[in-house]
Amino acid sequence: MPIYRFKVPQGSVEYEIREKIAVDVTDIHCGQTLAPRHFVHVYFDEQPEGASQYPTRYYLDAINRAGRPQEVKDKLLNTLLDAFVRHTGAPRAQVSGRIGETPASWAMEGGQVLPEPGQETQEWYAEVTAD
Amino acid sequence: MYCDDTCMGHAVITYNCTIQEGVISEQMRGTLNVRLVQIAAEILGEAPDDISVNYEVIPRGFGFRGGELSTSSSVRSVIPAGFSQDKRVEFMQAVQDMWMEVTGQTAAELVVGAADFGYSPN
Repeated sequence: MPIYRFKVPQGSVEYEIREKIAVDVTDIHCGQTLAPRHFVHVYFDEQPEGASQYPTRYYLDAINRAGRPQEVKDKLLNTLLDAFVRHTGAPRAQVSGRIGETPASWAMEGGQVLPEPGQETQEWYAEVTAD
Repeated sequence: MYCDDTCMGHAVITYNCTIQEGVISEQMRGTLNVRLVQIAAEILGEAPDDISVNYEVIPRGFGFRGGELSTSSSVRSVIPAGFSQDKRVEFMQAVQDMWMEVTGQTAAELVVGAADFGYSPN
């Protein structure tokens, strides 16, 4: 967690671009939330052109831990979408998304139940980055 | 979306497993199905017929973790609301331990979740 899923038309985003976006998403998320880098998951789901159920041609459907202020989530989402636009050249009007939330205590990663945002301890960092 | 035989009918507990192409073999998947159903039945007390297991396979080159190609799996389950946090953690821990035993993946390569039925992540 977090999990970022970009819904894109089939064949519209080449591997090299996907990789650059994944790196940027990781940098952006970690820069704004202090999450361990290897906790950031980025997927690209290809769909046939025109078959998308989302409001725009490209869509970011994300899940984060619940509990961050709305302004933090808004800034995070906009920064991520801007990065996608920068790498793909897609018109900004064709790119949108949302960040959904789930309680941290409902998930385990790195062998530990996730702490609430802002409640990460040095011991937790040490445990989940030990590999 | 791949769906095993166990997802027929209306399930009370649903596992949605996301795996990377080429990481989990078909044989492992068969074992995981059996063991996931066993864990939910034993810890949460549901009938095996009411437990389903779904898989989504991420094609190679389409999944990243920490900015690099991912080998990670996630096992996100939906369980009936009302269980205590202790019971939820016992359940997630059992899923994690079993998954690592069967697949050889490490804790760092695995996300396990147990969300209440009816919860909307908005």
